[in-house]
Amino acid sequence: MRVMRAEPGRFADVSSRTVGAVWRAYDLQLTTYAALLGVVGLVMAYVNTVEAGDPALGNGSVFSRALLWSGLAIVVYLVATAFNYQWLKTFAWPIYGVNVGLLLMTLAIGDGVGGSARWVSFGPLTFQFSELAKILMIGVLAAYLGNREGKLDSLGAILGAVILIVPPWVLVMLQPDLGTSLCLLAILAGMLFLSGASLIWLTAGAAAAVAAIPVIWTRVLQPYQQQRILSFLNPAADTQGAGWQVQQAQIAVAAGGPLGVGLTNGAQAHGQLLSVRESDFVFAVLAQELGFIGALVVFLLFIALLWRVLVAAWRSKDSFGTLYGAGVASMLLFQVFVNVGMVVGIMPVTGIPLPFISHGGASLVSIALGLGVLQSVNIRQQRAQW
Amino acid sequence: MSEPYLVPHRERDRRPIRFVAFGLAMILVFSVLAVRLGYLQVANGRTYASMAEANRAVAVAIPSSRGLVYDRKGRLLVANVAAYAIKITPAELPYEKRDAVAAQLGSLINMQPSDILATIDSATGSQFDPVRIKQDVPKATADMVSVSAAQLPGVHVAIETRREYTTGTLMSHILGYTGPVDPATYAKLKASGYLPDDAIGKAGLEASFESVLRGTYGQQLVERDPTGKDLQVLKTTPAVQGASLTLTIDTTVQKEAQRALEWGMKTAHLKRGVFIVMNPQTGEVLAMVSLPTYDDNLFAKGISQADFQKLATDKTQPLIDNAVQSQFAPGSTFKLVTGSGGLQDGKLTPTTKLRTAAYITIAGTKFWDWNHAGWGMCNISCGFGNSSDTFFYQVATMLGADRLAYYARLFGFGQPTGIDLPAEASGIIPSNQWKVSTFGQPMFGGETAQAGIGQGYVAVTPIQLINAYTALVNGGKLYRPQLVETITGPDGSVIQSFKPDLIRKLPLSPATMRTMRIAARASVTIRHTYNLVDMPVKVAGKSGTAEFGIKDAKGRLPYHSWFVGWVNKDPTSADFTRTDSQLMFLAFAYSSQTIGNAATEIAKDFLQLHYHIRHNYLLPQLLIKGNFAGQG
Repeated sequence: MRVMRAEPGRFADVSSRTVGAVWRAYDLQLTTYAALLGVVGLVMAYVNTVEAGDPALGNGSVFSRALLWSGLAIVVYLVATAFNYQWLKTFAWPIYGVNVGLLLMTLAIGDGVGGSARWVSFGPLTFQFSELAKILMIGVLAAYLGNREGKLDSLGAILGAVILIVPPWVLVMLQPDLGTSLCLLAILAGMLFLSGASLIWLTAGAAAAVAAIPVIWTRVLQPYQQQRILSFLNPAADTQGAGWQVQQAQIAVAAGGPLGVGLTNGAQAHGQLLSVRESDFVFAVLAQELGFIGALVVFLLFIALLWRVLVAAWRSKDSFGTLYGAGVASMLLFQVFVNVGMVVGIMPVTGIPLPFISHGGASLVSIALGLGVLQSVNIRQQRAQW
Repeated sequence: MSEPYLVPHRERDRRPIRFVAFGLAMILVFSVLAVRLGYLQVANGRTYASMAEANRAVAVAIPSSRGLVYDRKGRLLVANVAAYAIKITPAELPYEKRDAVAAQLGSLINMQPSDILATIDSATGSQFDPVRIKQDVPKATADMVSVSAAQLPGVHVAIETRREYTTGTLMSHILGYTGPVDPATYAKLKASGYLPDDAIGKAGLEASFESVLRGTYGQQLVERDPTGKDLQVLKTTPAVQGASLTLTIDTTVQKEAQRALEWGMKTAHLKRGVFIVMNPQTGEVLAMVSLPTYDDNLFAKGISQADFQKLATDKTQPLIDNAVQSQFAPGSTFKLVTGSGGLQDGKLTPTTKLRTAAYITIAGTKFWDWNHAGWGMCNISCGFGNSSDTFFYQVATMLGADRLAYYARLFGFGQPTGIDLPAEASGIIPSNQWKVSTFGQPMFGGETAQAGIGQGYVAVTPIQLINAYTALVNGGKLYRPQLVETITGPDGSVIQSFKPDLIRKLPLSPATMRTMRIAARASVTIRHTYNLVDMPVKVAGKSGTAEFGIKDAKGRLPYHSWFVGWVNKDPTSADFTRTDSQLMFLAFAYSSQTIGNAATEIAKDFLQLHYHIRHNYLLPQLLIKGNFAGQG
């Protein structure tokens, strides 16, 4: 009721609004769910550190690094919330340039396993700019499509967005990082869908993309590139067989049962058979130790968070906010689906992290940035009745 | 418009239906994940458990202890000794630690880390199958690896047995050796219970009696939890130890044979030689020496690539058993076939005399006798005893190529004897059919004459040659030469005991064979093989020099020398009408350009050792290099 009586003038800027009004527009639920998921991530970092036999707060341990990154993520989140998101529209092109620049730098000086270039080292810390690229591209695409509100039924806007995403997509593919590049496509598709782009063109585009796969595979890609993609699709194939890793993950998950084997008990029950247990396969450890119930709780947290993201998108009074929320929701949903699907054996093995829970600073900070911008959208709305 | 959010609120053209669709997609995604998770974690009881069951009951092989080998007097020739092996179970080695573990293990066992990783990666089979990284490491090294176990996940020290060949180089060609099964062979033998890191007989009796010696591997059905930890043993099928072999070989005789051959080869500076001793009554091989040889313990301990290359590329071919795997021209020793055939076909009688001369002419070509004077009119005893080439050119011509080949095959030439050793050579016996299929035209007269004196196309293995003479000596029974006296089960029961294995009864009359035996004695008594005549043991036999290869600057061919002979059951008896001999021997000296027949001297040395003859009859001056070609 109180919101209904709000006068437009009082919402000119946060500074001109009362603290109470801003607080009411602030989505505390979104923050709470994100924070809870962050805590789950910290717990898993702790578990994996202890199970590896390292002291929890040891120098450079997974847990201490996770604490450091969480702190940074909170700061990024708060700054992004306070920052007026309208400036993102103004600076969309420079941000796009920076994004491409960072990806080029990653290719030039980045490190990775087996000749790939995935992350850049800053002293003891490493950062995967492709994670940041997803969030930055959401902003760029939101600004671009937002300016074309009402024209989204046309093919032109869709093609423009596709052309925008091609340079970062190619740069990520060159790393090679098929997972992130697929995620970029999912973000684009989700944003176009929720912004109301023509379904006919979207369907046609999707069909064209699928039809082009065999042609690209046989005509464009060199054999070594095919090999790279194949070995990327099955990263464990070079080592002990993708089937082996997936099988171990499922055995671990099944061993968890309904109630789980208990935190930090996974390692004893399972040796160290599962590799990348703190990152890509973290959900296997989680499901094993917290069981079906624990996994469902995590699912519910994700659903709740996605709900709040969609709400923020819906109630945004400008297209930018709507599109931004659509992008963040698409990214989160895609990553959860692919990562958990991989662990339970219904998706192929790709190196996509589970948001909040997989260990990795770039992923966490990027998500904090995305959610912070959404919160900034929230508190600058007139209508906050949800 | 600089502050677009100042625009008064208006309902934007949102698409609620799209948000609803997205929300439904989200619900669908999480439902799929939850259902799959519930299937794995909760409904696990049924379907998943049965899938995991295959993982759970793991069959672990229990290797059997390989059978031992004894000589005919019960002396242990092949034993099993404990040895430490380093193994890695890939499933227990975390990928992230591979490099570190390989580096540390490599420094402990003195191996390149890259070789260790390559060994793991090339292993076939399950991740739970241990891969042997290094075998037969010293105990001190094994202890160091055990102590470092905490830093070496997946690495185990296994106690295995390896073969020990107690006589070293003495019987390597007979016993052979075992080695790791290669992937191609493993693929074929997997169904018979072989393991990827198994050992298998690769040469000699170890190979030909593999199925007997190996025994039957047992199996332990182990229940493992889904994480790979052993829970309990469900079922144990014990391993059945391999059966043991008692050979016909007598180590003492083998040593005598080796000593005699070594002496002769050293004195005459020879590179290769063979000495075989058999019992003509049964086909039992009492000794079989092929020089040069190698130490099969090198293989038992896991031969290094360098050592193997050295053996494999050695020009004298120490890995080849010349007694059964190589074939050579038999020279005059082959006159047994020609003479027996001529007598049996009635081309000759014991008293028929043929004119021997410096040469005979066949189709315009002169065929020389080794003795460039001849012996005038000569009967079979004179012809065989003096080894007259012109005599046997005529007999061979009378028989014709096919009849000669028929008798040769009767005596067992041109086909493997069937001795219990792998890779036996067949030899070559030229017939018209053989010549047509090989060269497209029938035998020429001169070629048949050449074949009649064991030259030209004829090629035999030493074991074929001695076996042919045993049939002459025992009265016409061609036996399969055998090396195994008994096969004994692990409980000491005899599974199989020796039985002479008759290949055929030769269709030769006793008179023919008697004539040939007397002729063989004549070769000693008429002093053709004069260096044996003074011996207190009475020897009959036939020498041979067989030309081969490429002529030297003076137009002379290099040659091998042969001697195959026997003594009666009473070795002092000179009555060679008898057929009771129990000792037949063959000496072969490869490329022995000496002034006397080296093989005969080697045989003499063996007889002196075997019968403990005090007086030394050896004539080492005969083994000085010189040309003796064609004495036949």
